[in-house]
Amino acid sequence: MARRPHPKPDVEAALRYAEFEGWRIEPGGSHAWGKMYCPYNDDECRCGEFCIACIWSTPKNAGNHARHLRRVVDHCTTHRKHTSTEP
Amino acid sequence: MTDYEFTLKFSLPDAGANPDDHVEALAEAGCTDALVGIGQAGRIALAFTRRAKSAFEAVSSALRHVRKAIPDAVLVEASPDFVGLTDVAEIAGFTRQNMRKLMLGNGATFPAALHEGKPALWHLATVLTWLKERQGRAVDAVLLEIAKANMTVNIAKEARQLPGATLPRNLERLFA
Repeated sequence: MARRPHPKPDVEAALRYAEFEGWRIEPGGSHAWGKMYCPYNDDECRCGEFCIACIWSTPKNAGNHARHLRRVVDHCTTHRKHTSTEP
Repeated sequence: MTDYEFTLKFSLPDAGANPDDHVEALAEAGCTDALVGIGQAGRIALAFTRRAKSAFEAVSSALRHVRKAIPDAVLVEASPDFVGLTDVAEIAGFTRQNMRKLMLGNGATFPAALHEGKPALWHLATVLTWLKERQGRAVDAVLLEIAKANMTVNIAKEARQLPGATLPRNLERLFA
């Protein structure tokens, strides 16, 4: 993989998970280490604002940051697989 | 000190602004305890895990920090607060059918919806309080506290639209 790894192991693991689920990771920024892009970022997508999620270089808590990143990916794939049952 | 999880969504009146500048400003203002989402034009969302003495302190300091970074950002919603029955069931660990049965079987005491459409909507705090006090269910105390704080913020936000409305100072400070 050509991408440079994130310095925090927890965050790097979350980014690999996101990539496995089809998300695109793009480095860039100063405080921001980069961004991750939802593969379904279109009208059908339900991630909303988090279709593009910002990855911090030095998050206040790397474990929490990694967990939020994973949650965004899981939330997206959940909505991709199940249509809402709300009447 | 407790870790509170909540999400704040804002609209951005200046459509021409570069979202990357907002993101850098948010870091400077102390928001690296939030995941920032910029996937929708004219919007920005922050999913916080914020350590604070109380849920209200967590949400109000987050609002302060965002306003410092992006002065013209307008709060759209603090969540979790507005929920449908499906959301409540998921949060409380019931199936939607069971949650619906609980609601229909306890019409006299179940909290009134704030909107009875499809889907109907409640404030999460009112349903959690009902589950705890009327049903004797175990309810996550931290979740209940943040749901109450978000409800306060969202209602205060709406109340500011009333002509001549005066909010208590501690609430008015959240917005100006």
